[in-house]
Formats: sequence, C-alpha cells, structure tokens
Amino acid sequence: MTASADTRHTPPTTAGPRPPGRGSRSRARRGGPLGTRAWFLLPGVAFLAVFSAIPIFQLVRMSVSEVGSATLNQEWPFVGLANYLEGFTSGAMVDAIVRTVVVAVIVTAVGMGLGLAAAIALRTKGRWSAIVLAGMVFVWALPPVVNGSVWKFLFAEDGLINTLVLLTPLRSEPIPFLYDATWALISVALVTTWAVIPFNALVFRAALLGISPEIFEAAALDGATRWQEIRHIMIPAAKPTALVLLVLTIVYGFRSFDFIYVMTYGGPGTATNTLPFLGYLQAFSRYDFGLGASTSVLAVLLVLVLAVLYSRSILKEER
Amino acid sequence: MNQRAGLGETLIKVLLTLLYGVPLLWIVLTSLKPSSLVFDRASMFVFTPTLDAYANALNSELFTALRQSILIAAGTTAVVLLIAVPAAYGLARTRGPLVAVLLGSLIVLQMLPQTATVIPLFQLFGSWSMLDSLGGVILADAALLTPFAIILLRPFFRTVPVELEEAAAIDGTARLGTFLRIALPVARNGVATTGTIVFLLAWGEFLYAVNFFLSPGTYPLSALLAQQVSAFGIDWPGLMALAVLTAVPILIVYTLSYKLLRDGLTVGAVK
Repeated sequence: MTASADTRHTPPTTAGPRPPGRGSRSRARRGGPLGTRAWFLLPGVAFLAVFSAIPIFQLVRMSVSEVGSATLNQEWPFVGLANYLEGFTSGAMVDAIVRTVVVAVIVTAVGMGLGLAAAIALRTKGRWSAIVLAGMVFVWALPPVVNGSVWKFLFAEDGLINTLVLLTPLRSEPIPFLYDATWALISVALVTTWAVIPFNALVFRAALLGISPEIFEAAALDGATRWQEIRHIMIPAAKPTALVLLVLTIVYGFRSFDFIYVMTYGGPGTATNTLPFLGYLQAFSRYDFGLGASTSVLAVLLVLVLAVLYSRSILKEER
Repeated sequence: MNQRAGLGETLIKVLLTLLYGVPLLWIVLTSLKPSSLVFDRASMFVFTPTLDAYANALNSELFTALRQSILIAAGTTAVVLLIAVPAAYGLARTRGPLVAVLLGSLIVLQMLPQTATVIPLFQLFGSWSMLDSLGGVILADAALLTPFAIILLRPFFRTVPVELEEAAAIDGTARLGTFLRIALPVARNGVATTGTIVFLLAWGEFLYAVNFFLSPGTYPLSALLAQQVSAFGIDWPGLMALAVLTAVPILIVYTLSYKLLRDGLTVGAVK
C-alpha cells in the first residue's frame, strides 16, 4: 500500500508514471483538490438550503418587517429596524440578554465542573460506577419534556425537595423554586445543567480513558496523592477536550428553551424569558412575528460568534 | 489504572446517584400512586400501588400519539440517514477550502436556537401547505438534526482507509459501489450510533410538533406531555404515567444501544 500512500498527496497533473494496473479511472477517483466524491454532498446541500437556509433568510426578512398572524402569508410592509428598537426600548430584550447570560454562566460553570468530577469519580471499574454512568446516559436519552415534568413535580411547593427541606431546621416554609423570580431562573438553569452533565461526563471520560496506565503507575511509585494525580495528570489530559466542550456547553446553555417551556413557560411574570424563549413567546403568544423574529435574529447572532470560535478550534485540530 | 477510590470520589458518586436516581425513581413511584396520596407525606415511599393512572392514560388518544411518535421518529431517522450518510462520506473524502466552509456552516446550523427556526418554518410551511401534516414535522425535524448527524458521522468515514476503496476500484467497482460495499460496512457502527441518537432526539422533539400540528388530536407523545405539563391543575399521577409511557420506548432503544451511545455520543463533538 506504500505506492498508493505516496501518490495520494501528489497532484494528478504532476504525477509520474503509475504502477501497472492503475488506469485513468482510479486516478480520476482520487481527483484534484476537491476530489470526485463531492457530488455525495449534493442531496445534503440541497435539503439544507431549502429547510435551513431559506428559513434563516426568511427570519431576517421578518425581523425588518411588520408581520402579524393575519398578515403572515401576505406582503409584509418594510419597517427597517423598528422591531429591534421596540425590543430594546421596552427593555424586554436587555432583560432577556441578562437572564440568558445568567443561565449560560450557571450551566457552564456547574456543568463543566460536575462533568469533570463525574468523569473522574466514575472512571474506576466497578458495578456502582457502571450503574451510575448507565443511569446518567439514560437520563440524557430521555426527552426533555419527561425530565422537565419530573423536576417541576420535585420542585413543587409540597413536592419531594420541599418536604425534605422542611424536615431540616434550615427553613420553616417551602422554597418557592418555580414561583419566585430569582429562584425560578436558578431552578431552570440547574435542571438544564443536570441534563447536560451526562454528556460532559462522557466527553471527559473519553479523554481520561486515553491516559496510559503507566503514567498512573509512575505517579504511584513517586508516592503521588489522589489530589496530585487529579491535578497533574487528569486535568492536563482533559484540557484540550475541555476547551472545545466549553464552547459547546456555553452554546447549549445559551439556546436551551425546553426546560423553560415545560417548567415555567417564561414565568413567573417574565422572570425566565431568556432570549430564545422571548423570541418564541413574542411570535407565538403575542402573534407579533416581526418582533419575535428580531429577538431571534439577535439570539442567532450571539450563537454565531460562539459557532465561529468553535469551528476554528475544531478545524485547527484537524490539520 | 489506579483503582483506589478516594473520599471525594465516593461523595461525588453518592451525589450523582441521588441526582440521577431519585428523579427516575420518583416518576415511577408517582405514576403508581392514587391522586389523593401524591402529596401525602406519610405515604411518600410506602403506599398501595395502583395502576389507575395507567388505565386512565391508556386511551385512544394515547395510542394515536404513540403512533405519531413512532412515525415521526422513524421517518426523521430515515430521512436524516439518507441525506447525512452520503454527505458525511463526501465530506470525509473531500479536501480543500470547501470542506472548511461546509463544516463551518454545519456547525452554525447545529447551534441555531430551535426557537429561531420555528418562526420562519411556521410561515413557510403555511405557504407551502405543509402545516398540520406528518411530512412537514418530519422534514423540519430532519433539517434540525441533519447537521449534527453529518458532523457525528464524518469521523467514522475518515477512519475507513482510502486504500480499501482503491483496491476495490482497481477490481472495477464503480464509485457508488465502493461507497456502498466498502465504506458503508466499515462505518456501520457510526451509522448505527447516529441513527440511534437521531431517533432519540426526534422522539423527544416537541416544539415543532406543538406548533406545526394545529390540534392536540394529532400530537405525538412528547407534544402531548408538553401541553399537559404547562396546563393548570396538573394531574400528577396521570402526567407521570404519560411520562413513563413516553420513556418506555426510549428505554428499549437505550437498552439495545447503550454501548454505542456511551462510546459514540461524543465523537462528533471533539473530533
């Protein structure tokens, strides 16, 4: 296979005489810089152009137009940046951005921390670790509506968590997990975090499983403590993965809406209206599609920045 | 690898066991309680189980929703694999700046908030007469999950040695033939992993379903659950029974594919 390995990197125009048995067909197959496999991409490109690119284009158009539910399928009057201005001057957009950042910060900090802690704790072989890991993957696989429903129930005024809290001397009245503005935002953020920890733990786990056992043996011979092993072997090993995962987790926290939909539907009042959910409510509850589109475009732009950061780190790794 | 478990690690394990065990246990327990005992402190863990909630939940509405869920999840998986498998193969076998552009676009699409795409899709489906149809929801779900599927599948195709395909090509196998007979069988683990994840995600998707189906009579299970949990005066045992019934097919798929999920879930994210 050496012959084919070194010709693979040679441009076809400068390629010298080929070994016998290689016709022009096989040369064409390896092709120029784009190769001849590019046509396999066509169905995907066509499909996503129709069902992803056109919708985004339409979203941007809506955001600079006056669109209500009655005029949805008619000609839309162009209003320039009026929708954006309305969002900003009413304060709804700024409040939503602040809430979105709070959620993203909680999800990222706790999700990364506990994800790594879980990967380290569940790294050891044994039945307990295996069962906990399996349970976490199952939770990841469950529909968010199922998970959200359970947490809404656990967080209820006379739900399990409040029942247990009231048994302790710490509080004499139930915690208003979903009925107080601040608590509601924190509760929703924590459930969102809970749902992402299994994924993060699996990513870190893969990184930790890549450490060669000799390194641990050498550390043990040197009398390293548990904490030193974590600090000097495991955390450095997880670092390259952690950077990529960090961006993914921020984006996840940023765009998450399913637990808000299920647990608070943006309430109480507007307390859990994050940017993605605010856009949805404006379009589908207030039927102001133009306003909802402008809020959503802003959410898309913020995600775009993160997506570019992520793409660059992923593509760099590839080279 | 070091097998000593420190105190900190044991504490983390206890915490994780509670965090992920209690909610799972609680859904099942509550679904077996009579309504009157749901918030009764004395019968928190000890009570006479009843299947009333399940008996009430198992009506024709539920079977319609179950059928819709199966059709949507299976249809979405089929459409996504049909499009994403050749696309991932094409990307794995293509070089140059086009790849970077396409991968970058896929990453952007994968990260878009779903609440942003539901707004224009609702309008477009309205003008294309695709609202209130199974096909519309399947295509929307497929568009949502295809970028992720391509990103996840591509590394699996990259591990297929080019030499294998070249050898087959010398024997006269056509281009499509080398893909179907050589690359696809070698990457079958990736296809299975991706198919499983797409099925799970499509099963749980509810935002498109709630908005594109115009009446709850045609909702899938996830949408039915989303509608009931945000209603006032929730019937908790009934809701938990519905949650369990929504989760049972997931449990089956999960049991069959746990190892694939555990080892393959993260491939697209970091490679």
